[in-house]
Amino acid sequence: MKHHTFLGAVLGAIICSATAHAIEPGQAAPAFTVKNVKGEEVSLADQKGKVVVLEWLNHDCPYVKKHYASGNMPKLQEAYTAKGVVWISINSGAGVSASDLAARSAKEGSKASQVTVDPDGKVGKAYAAKTTPHMIVIGKDGKVAYNGAIDSINSTDAADVEKADNHVAAALDALLAGKTVEVAKTKPYGCGVKYAK
Amino acid sequence: MAGMKFSVLLAVGLPFVAPLSAAVKSGHAEAELVAGVSSYEAGKAFQVAIRLTVDPGWHTYWINPGIGGMPVKATWTLPEGWTAGELRQPVPKRFMTGELPGFGYEGETVFLVDLTPPAGATGEAECKVKLAWLTCDDSACVPGDAELSVKLAAGDGKPGKEAAVIEAAKKKIPVPPAQDLLFGVEEREGRLILFVLSSEVDLAGVSAFPTTPDVIDPAEPLTFEKGKDAWIATGKKSEYLDGAATRLDIVVAGGKLKQPLLLSWRAEK
Repeated sequence: MKHHTFLGAVLGAIICSATAHAIEPGQAAPAFTVKNVKGEEVSLADQKGKVVVLEWLNHDCPYVKKHYASGNMPKLQEAYTAKGVVWISINSGAGVSASDLAARSAKEGSKASQVTVDPDGKVGKAYAAKTTPHMIVIGKDGKVAYNGAIDSINSTDAADVEKADNHVAAALDALLAGKTVEVAKTKPYGCGVKYAK
Repeated sequence: MAGMKFSVLLAVGLPFVAPLSAAVKSGHAEAELVAGVSSYEAGKAFQVAIRLTVDPGWHTYWINPGIGGMPVKATWTLPEGWTAGELRQPVPKRFMTGELPGFGYEGETVFLVDLTPPAGATGEAECKVKLAWLTCDDSACVPGDAELSVKLAAGDGKPGKEAAVIEAAKKKIPVPPAQDLLFGVEEREGRLILFVLSSEVDLAGVSAFPTTPDVIDPAEPLTFEKGKDAWIATGKKSEYLDGAATRLDIVVAGGKLKQPLLLSWRAEK
């Protein structure tokens, strides 16, 4: 244990820096209003009392392609919106075009409640969305219940979807059953959100 | 080009043996498999190299990719009884992909893998690997994959004409220190303090990288400075680390080190 004897002496020189944190599970989900691809306003405040999923996407990203081409994302959207969950897909990329995103979403078989554009990245930054996909699940109480990756296998291979633990489905199942979300935070994997500079 | 002539003669003499795969281009990188031996010796491990060359402006990722990104993955198909070791990766670079900090490689990277034939192995052996990678630049990520293969005859396992590729790659791959180094980690107020006893090693001017993902936040560089008795570096604890840190491997390279080192810490139970 000799290292403990000198460690105290050197700690004095170490500066601890304050750091900004992402939206942690248990914190209130930041309010936002964003436009959908039809130009209509979508507000988190209007979803009060509902379970909400926020999904960051960019259909040019191979990780997003993995979850759409495999049918995984549309299947989740369809299954959980049928149970009253509001699913909001958000593209926070610089210069994202509503008409392009509408066409791509239709082509990829999106079953999201809303497909929205956040070209200035305001909503993405409010949630510290890092990657596409990056998934946030908000409980009926308006608090963040899950923040992170869609599932447990970081790859672009569609064959891995079946082998992975789907963290979003697990969080939604728990919330809808009135249970505690076991895995509330993971590291999101994917391409970086292409924020405006 | 005496070497060229030799390889032509060899190809004529042994038409089925190819210690070098054709390079395969996929996405924004090109991959190639190179055996360091001219033949394999039954029961004796030998090394093969995977050379991955990324287009200018793009990068691939290390074992610890940082935030976003994906490590290179190798899946082997080998003759019965053969085994493949892990993909040994050279010292990475730090970079930003847009706003995401990461570790990985630009240009040409050579990975090494130990292949071990069983004791009774005979005949020609085809060693196949499926390599999958992700390349990103600031505006896009593009995956790539390649199926590579080399064929080797049974023999004495002597170094082949590509042995220099393996030897050069070895120098860039971290190894555990020859003698035990005291490397420790302490947690203080959301930061991890790394220390290495200075009587045992000189870390002046080294670059340091966390090999274990999601223990240290990749956003700030790890810099070792000399304290009274130890080299000290501090890093912000990763927001994705659940509970206390229990293990951390780091790579230190450059400075006065002849060979990059892999330092391992495990919490005392």
